[in-house]
Formats: sequence, C-alpha cells, structure tokens
Amino acid sequence: MEEKVRELKAQAEEAIQHAAGSLKDLDDIRVKFLGKKGEFTTILRGMGAVAKEDRPKIGKIVNEAKAQVEALLAAKNEELKARALEQKLASEKIDVTLPGRRQPLGHLHPLTLTLERIKDIFFRMGFSVEEGPEIEKDYFNFEALNLPKDHPARDMQDSFYITDEILMRSQTSPVQARTMQKNEPNAPIRMIAPGRVYRRDEYDATHSPMFTQVEGLVIDKGISLGDLKGTLELFLRQIFGEEVGVRLRPSFFPFTEPSAEVDISCVMCHGKGCKVCKGTGWLEILGAGMVHPHVLEMSGYDPKVVSGFAFGMGVERIAMLSYGVDDLRLFYDNDKRFLQQF
Amino acid sequence: MQVSIKWLKDYIDFDWTAEELADKFTMAGVPVENVVHADEGLEKVVTGRLDSVVKHPDSDHLQICSVNVGADAPLQIVTGAQNVREGQIVPVAMVGAKLPNGQKISKGKLRGVASNGMLCSAGELHMDLEKLPEEQKNGIYILPADTPVGQPVAKILGLDDVILEFELTANRGDCFSVFGLVREIAVLTGNQPKWPEIVCREDDPDKAADLISCGIDAPELCSRYAARVIKNVKIGPSPDWMQQRLEGAGIRAINNVVDVTNFVMVELGQPMHAYDYDEITGHTLTARLAKPGENLHTLDDSSRVAKGTELVIADSEHPAGLAGVMGGLETEVTENTKTIVLEAASFNGPSIRRTSRACGLHTEASGRFERGVDVPDIPRALDRAAQLLQDMGACTVTKGIVDVYPAPKKPVKIAYTADQINRRLGTKLDGAAMNDILEKLGFTVEAQGGGYVATVPNWRNDCTYMEDLSEEIARIYGFDRIPATVPHGMMMQGKQSEKQNLIAKIKHSLAALGMTEELSFSFTNTDILDKMLVPADSKLRRAIPIMNPLTDEAPLVRTSLLTSIMENALRNFSRKNMDLRYFDVAPVFFPKALPLTELPDERTECVGLLTGRRDEAGWNQSDEMVDFYDAKGIVEELFSALHIRNYTVEAGTHFAMHPGVTAVFKKGREVLAYVGELHPKAAENLGIKQKVYLFTMDVETLHRYMGSSFHFESLPKYPAISRDLAMVVAEDVPAASIEAVIANNGGEFFKDVTLFDVYTGKQVGEGKKSLAFSMQFQSKERTLKDEEADAAFQRILAAVEREFDAELRS
Repeated sequence: MEEKVRELKAQAEEAIQHAAGSLKDLDDIRVKFLGKKGEFTTILRGMGAVAKEDRPKIGKIVNEAKAQVEALLAAKNEELKARALEQKLASEKIDVTLPGRRQPLGHLHPLTLTLERIKDIFFRMGFSVEEGPEIEKDYFNFEALNLPKDHPARDMQDSFYITDEILMRSQTSPVQARTMQKNEPNAPIRMIAPGRVYRRDEYDATHSPMFTQVEGLVIDKGISLGDLKGTLELFLRQIFGEEVGVRLRPSFFPFTEPSAEVDISCVMCHGKGCKVCKGTGWLEILGAGMVHPHVLEMSGYDPKVVSGFAFGMGVERIAMLSYGVDDLRLFYDNDKRFLQQF
Repeated sequence: MQVSIKWLKDYIDFDWTAEELADKFTMAGVPVENVVHADEGLEKVVTGRLDSVVKHPDSDHLQICSVNVGADAPLQIVTGAQNVREGQIVPVAMVGAKLPNGQKISKGKLRGVASNGMLCSAGELHMDLEKLPEEQKNGIYILPADTPVGQPVAKILGLDDVILEFELTANRGDCFSVFGLVREIAVLTGNQPKWPEIVCREDDPDKAADLISCGIDAPELCSRYAARVIKNVKIGPSPDWMQQRLEGAGIRAINNVVDVTNFVMVELGQPMHAYDYDEITGHTLTARLAKPGENLHTLDDSSRVAKGTELVIADSEHPAGLAGVMGGLETEVTENTKTIVLEAASFNGPSIRRTSRACGLHTEASGRFERGVDVPDIPRALDRAAQLLQDMGACTVTKGIVDVYPAPKKPVKIAYTADQINRRLGTKLDGAAMNDILEKLGFTVEAQGGGYVATVPNWRNDCTYMEDLSEEIARIYGFDRIPATVPHGMMMQGKQSEKQNLIAKIKHSLAALGMTEELSFSFTNTDILDKMLVPADSKLRRAIPIMNPLTDEAPLVRTSLLTSIMENALRNFSRKNMDLRYFDVAPVFFPKALPLTELPDERTECVGLLTGRRDEAGWNQSDEMVDFYDAKGIVEELFSALHIRNYTVEAGTHFAMHPGVTAVFKKGREVLAYVGELHPKAAENLGIKQKVYLFTMDVETLHRYMGSSFHFESLPKYPAISRDLAMVVAEDVPAASIEAVIANNGGEFFKDVTLFDVYTGKQVGEGKKSLAFSMQFQSKERTLKDEEADAAFQRILAAVEREFDAELRS
C-alpha cells in the first residue's frame, strides 16, 4: 500500500514536472490524481481493505502525499500563470512613441491673459475695476480731462468721431471723470479702467486703430508723486521681474501736473542698448502724473482737500514685451497658429 | 523743433557731449528724440590730391588715380568718374569707411587693377545738393585748390555739427526757441548764458508810424500787433553762418530778409513776417476776421475761400495773409522790394490751430502760436530782426515801433508753501531749495505770510497754479531723487462688477471647452452685412457711421460679432488653417437714433464658430468633421457652467443660419442663444466650401438668468432604477418635446432622461425615426420598488403614444 502511494506520488510529480503546456493540462493532472474519481481518492476509498490498526498510518501517508502533490500543483500553477502573464504582456507591447491622442485646450487671447495679470496685481493692491462706454462724449474723453477744444495737446491723438460731440473714446481716461462724478465728492478712489480705445492710426507693427488700455486713478488725502512712483514700481516689478529698472521722466499731459513718462530698463538687452530700445537701454511703458487740479474740480473733487495720481498703459505694449511679440498686428490677425501658442 | 549744438554754444558753454546734453534735456522734461551727427559716415573720409590720373588699360571709362592723402605713400584708387584731373583736391573714402548711404569701402580690384578707397561725390557725402551749383552735383566733388590734404572732409565742409531733434510737449512753447533751450541749459549746468546784445540803430529819418498804421479788430484773437518799417532794403543771400544755423534748424535759406525772420523765430521763439510795404494797399495792416467768401491767396500760391472764422492780416482792401499761419502772395518780399514792414504779433492759439488744421497748413509759425509766444518780448524780436539786417548792411531802420497792445499781459503770480509742494511730491525739500530752482528758471520769488509768491517769467505760458510750480521743482530736482512710497489711507477692496466676472467665467469656460479666444476690431461694413444675409429691416443694419473712418472697409461701428468672427475665419482659411474653434466676447453698438444724439446702447455679445475636423489630425484620431451638435454641446456645457437651468431648445430661425439647422435656446419667450449652421447662401457669398457652425448670445441676457448662488445636490443614498424606452415616431417630431413629455409624466420619482440612440432607415419605415431613451427613477428616502418604476414607465408610455402617435419598439 505504502509502495503504491509512493509510486502514485512519483507519477504525479512526474506528470506535473512535464506539464509544460497550459493551465488546462495542469488541471487535467489535478483531476487525474486528486479529483473525486482521482487516483488518490481511489486509494482512500480502498482503505476498507487495509487493516484497521494500519489505517491511520496509511491515511497519514496518503494525505501527506496528497498535500505534497497539491503543493506541487499550486507551485506549477503559479509558474504557468506567471509565464502566461508574461506572454500576454509581451504580446500587448505597443509603440509608446506614437503621438498621444490630443484633447486640445482652447486658448485665451494673449491680451486677455496679459490684462488678467495686470488686473490681478491691482486687485491685490486694493484697486477696483471701473467701466465706461467705448462710444463716449467728447466732454468725458477730453474736456473733463482739461483738454478743451482746440487745445494743441489734442494733436497727440487723432480720434474717430461719430458726431461733433460723440466719438469712439481715444483713451480709457474718461472713466476717471465718470467715476469721480458718480462718487460722493472727495471720496477716496483706487481704480483701474481697462478697455478698448480707438485712434485714427494707420495699422502697422506698432500702431492699431483699436487697442487696449488700462487707466489707473488713486485719489485720497495726501497722495503724492512719490506714491505714484512707488505704486508703479511695485506693479512693473511684478510684471517684468524684480530686477527691472524703472525711471520717471518729466513729461506733459493736460490732465496731470506734474506729468511723467515711465520707462523700464529694456527687457531684451537689460539696459545695454539694442534695436528694441533703440540703443537707449530704456523702454517707454506708460504715462502718469499727479491729477491736475482742474480735472478734480470739474468732477466735483476739491484739490485743496484731496490729491491723486493717474496712469495709463497699453496692454499690447506690455504683452509684446512679455511674450517677445514684434508685430502688434499679430494680436488682431487671430491666426490660429499664433493664438494656440498662448 | 531741431537745433544745432553750434547754435546753442553761441550762447552758452557746456562740456557735455551731444548725447549727454540730450539725456539731461530729456530727464528735465525737454525730450530729445534724436541726436543727428551730420558727419556720421564721414569719419574715414579725408581730403586728397590727385597726383596722377591715367586711363585704365582694360577699360574705356575707368581711370587709375594716385592720391596723396597726407600719408607716407599715395593710394591707388580706380574711379569711374570722368571729371577728375591731375592736381585736384577731392574727398577720399579710405578703406574701412562706411558712408552715410551705408556703402562700405574695402580693398578691391577693378578689371585687374587694385583700388584702395573711393573718390566721393557730393551725394555720397550727404551734402545738400540743392545748395550746390549745377557742376558740383554730379561726378566727384571737387574741393578748392588750396584745401589742405589729409584733413577730415566733414570739418572742411562744415559737416561736423550735431543736430538735436526735440519732441517737445505741448506746454513748453518757450522751448521752441534757442533762447529757451539755452535758459534750460543754464539751469542744468549752472553756467551763465552769453546773451547777444539786442539793439538796433534807428538810422532812418522817417518814423514808422508815419508810414504804416496797424490795428486789431479782433482783440480776443490777437492780443498784440507790432511792426517796424525798414527802408532801402537790399535783397541778397544771408551770410554763411546764418545759413548754417538755419540749416541746422531744418530751415532752408531763401534770402536775407526771409532768413532773418526765420532766424529770429528760432532764436527768440517769436514768429515774424515781412511784407513788401509798397504792395500794402492803404499802408494799413489790421488783424481782423476774414469775411466769408473772401479770397485768401497764400505764399504757397494756393487760393482759399475764407469761411469767416479765420484771422487774417488785411490791408485796406483785402487779406494780406492768414494770421500766424502763412503770409499772402501779393505782399511777398521779392528782389525788387525796397521797403519792408516787419510784423511780430501774438495770435490766439486755438484760433490758429483751427485755421491751420482747416487749411492743412502746419507751419513753424503756427506751431509756435498754438503754444503761445512771449508777448511782452515782442518788440525785442522786431529789434533783433532789424539789427541783423542792419548788420548785413541790408537796410535802414525807421524810427519807432508801431505797437498795438490793448491789454498788456499782467504777470502771473502764484502763492505756495514749501509744505504744499512737498506734500504733492512726497519730498522734504526746504523752501530755500525750491526757491533756488524757481529763481534759476527765471521766476522771482518773494516771501509772503508763511509761504511765498512766485512771479512767472513772461516766456512761460504754462504756469498758473501751485501744481505747475511743483512740476518745475520736481523736474529740476530730479524725478529720480523723489522717494518711492505707496499710498496709505483707507484700506480698499479690489473688485470688479458681476458682469465682468461673468465675462471672465464665459471666457474661461469656453477655453476649457477647447474654444480659442479671438479679438477683433469694432468696425464693420455694409458688404459683410450683405454677405451674411442681414435683412434690410434688421436692427443690425442700423450701424453707427464714423465721420472720419480710416478706410472704406471700416466705415461703421459693428452691431454683431458674427461678421467679425466670419472675417477671422476667412483670414484663417486663406492661410490654410481649416479647423477652427473660435469665440469672441465683445461689445456691439446700437444707436437709439441716427444720427447719434446720445450715447448708443452697448451690448456685450458672445459668439462662437466651429468648423473643420472634430479632432486634431493624427494617426489615432477620427476624420470626422464637426457638426451642429458639437456647437450645441458647447452652448449646453457653457450654460451648465453658468448654472443656467430650465431653458428650452427649439428649432429657430436666424438670418445667417441654415433654416433647418438652427436651434434657439430660450427662457420663456426670451432668447438666450442661437446655434446653427452658417446659411449655405452666406457660405457661398463668402466663398466658404466647408460647413461652419455658429452660436451667438447676449451676455446681459445670460447675466439675468445665470444662477447667482449655487448649492450642490446631495448624492443619492438609494439606488436608481433604470428603464429604457425605444419608440418609433414621425421624423419631424422634435426629440426635445418627447423628453419634455417624459419628464412631465414621470411622476415623483422621475430623475433624469437621456436620449441614447437615434435611428432612421428601412427598418423603421419612410418618414419615421426610432428614438431610444433611458430613464432614471429614484427616491431620496428609500430603495424604489420595481413596480413603482414600472408604473411610471407605463404612464410615460401612454403619454408618448397619445401625444406623438409613438409606437413602442420591442
């Protein structure tokens, strides 16, 4: 009996060893030896013929042999499964260098992105966005800004007129006057007014009949030219980087006194002088100044009580310098190949 | 305004280079746009003597010159010029020179003969050809025989001056003169100007007042009118030094009288005019308004008919000139002129500006009058002009000035305190430092009360208020020395309007949906409106016309963004960008009345455009083209992002869209959006061959229906039961109406319905379609029983059978 078990076990081991094929072969072996009608079962069934006192011993031998076979089967099963997985994985290999399936994003316009950056910086400094109409009264666009009719400074910009008294606003500055007039007299203001403006300029690499401006206005008690300088330095350093140089040059605008042109050190050559800055090392970036007392008075503010500063910048100019765009027309050309870079 | 360094140095010393001076001017608020070196490109051009000139052995027209340029050995230069002879002195561009025209001189060979340089013509030296005699214009420029050799040609030819080109601001009329600029240099350097002595000897026995009478009929337009009479005039060229100064100022020399008036204008900033006394009818000059219809015959030999708003200087019969803009032809000084009336006056700036703009005549004079002249100084300009002519021996000067000055200008006085100025600038200067700056600028300062009173110098027409003084102090003290601070005061919150937030949300949502933002001009034209099939009676046709449009293509202010987005699509198509997903959010303009009497309505429109392939081209991408449902899906997702709910969608009509492929999104009766295919007729008009899908919506309307506050819906705790319903209905039954009936009959547990299959074809029969809906039923309180879902399903089934004659498909 013992001998038979040993033999059977050897047969099973042999079979398992050579079951190189599939899991199915292995299962057949399991059924053959361990199944309900398998050989070990048959032996156990044949226990009746074994002497009663020998039964536990034989039973133990059989069960041990069975367990060993089962363990072998399990091990072989694992081995075959691993090999099968390996084959499956090998067969599933793909060319990962093929391009991915693109789910293209849409793109916000570079001027929108630039404007959002500008707004964000000013929001954090407590400035609110104010709005005004794009088709505007001459009064708000010029007169309320200390630019009476036939003032030579009107030559600084050629406007699109609708009637003698209504035009397409040539600057976002009219929002200054509108905001002051909307307010209680002398109420403090910290505002920016972004928007489209229109000038009768030929369309070329640096001019466009429509462009985007951001006007800024701060009014409170004791606002000084130093405050203007500090605010614009903070702003420009956030836009162009901490290391950017900022300088104010005296200039003239009818709505401010003193007035300044604000330059930054050239972002292309870092002040060494290049084609972009025409060798000066500086780039004109915005116009600014202390609000002219007339402008305050005309909109119901008292220049003896409050003072303020104002500034205006072109969003296109800032976007061109930020992204290195050398032709303003690209912004309004809306070529897909341009827009999808942003 | 431009002026040469030499002219400035006539009156003040400074050690700065032209570039340094330009920088100092700019930083003091007198901006210099360009520094022009007349000798630029002439650094390596020297004088040389032609020691020998022989014919080139292999050429009919080339000559080989041996040129002595003062060096040890002569240079061999081959030239094609025919006017060279042995012994001549000529300009020689040495090897390495880069001429003003950009030509670089290098060693070379001409037909086998070495040539080490180039002989130059006047043009190549950038000389003013019009000033040269005919024989000097062409060929090599021949210098006088006594010219030393080896000298820089720029110096020999007087081309070594440097010109400053100013971009002066409108307020600084005083800097439109050499004297004004010298005053600024004096302040910046601390050096004393060397003013010329201005005196004229009235050496003619006649009295001016006996010869001419002057008058002002329009005192609001002419505050002072003064004249001198000079006699025995000898017209001729002005001296070289004067011609050179004028040339540096960009003014061409004409004759001594005209040159002197121009010289005085640039030197003192006071425009002048010279009349031929004998041509002045009645020997009277009056500043008056032109009579409407009067003929104005100006120096540029053009005739204008007066409107009646122009200020003219008239003799007893007719206008003798457009005041401050241009003189008249009849009284022009000619070679035969014997007696001259010199005029110096002050005219109203805005009036001059109107006239010069209306006539298209912007002159050196009109620019200065627009900005204002130094009115009290007017007689000095007359004296200076008379003096200069007298010094040339070109005239005698009659006695006295005829001066009409009804209301002499009172000096402007400005009271200020140091504290006021410091508060405005953010500085801590003491009063003495401020007063020092002002006094250097020509102000006189007196202490008064606790502060000061500054008297503004005559030549400054731009200072009226304390604020103006603050600018003077700041610009001289230096903007760069003002400390940078930040505003203090009440803390304020940075925010923008809800509408601005909505616009931002729309833009970001559309970009997330794969749409790209465009920006387009606010202009349009009738042609594109026609092509886009805008009906004649549409309000979009009432676009506001611009009085002075830039081009014929942009005469109107747009009423729709659809035209703009189509134009952008066309531009992209022309560049072979065929797959587009674009949107634009911008204002459109609707007049309340035309012509405009009040500001128009500005509405913000949002439009989108989809065309071309649905996916990016690629090995693993589909080749399908976008269709109507892509566009509609974008709008649906956008509305979902904006929390716009409970809207209806039905077939609609829009002029620019295919009548069978247009959906209108509505809230009650109000239109939220149109989505549709570009009308095939419009596509044909625009020459578009591929299908284009558009949507348009009014942002203000969306704003009203957008969910302002939003609460999330809690997730279901109990499972949903799903039932599918496939039915056959007539093809023209809108799916949305079936969905509505399903929703209305679904009962309390109805949750959602999704259309998951649409089929037309043989199996369902002609004129029919099969639709399959999946419906969800769910309770918030408990697990629903199958029977409850079945009951709802039966109700729905009965309703769709009843309403749509639907046939259940099994």
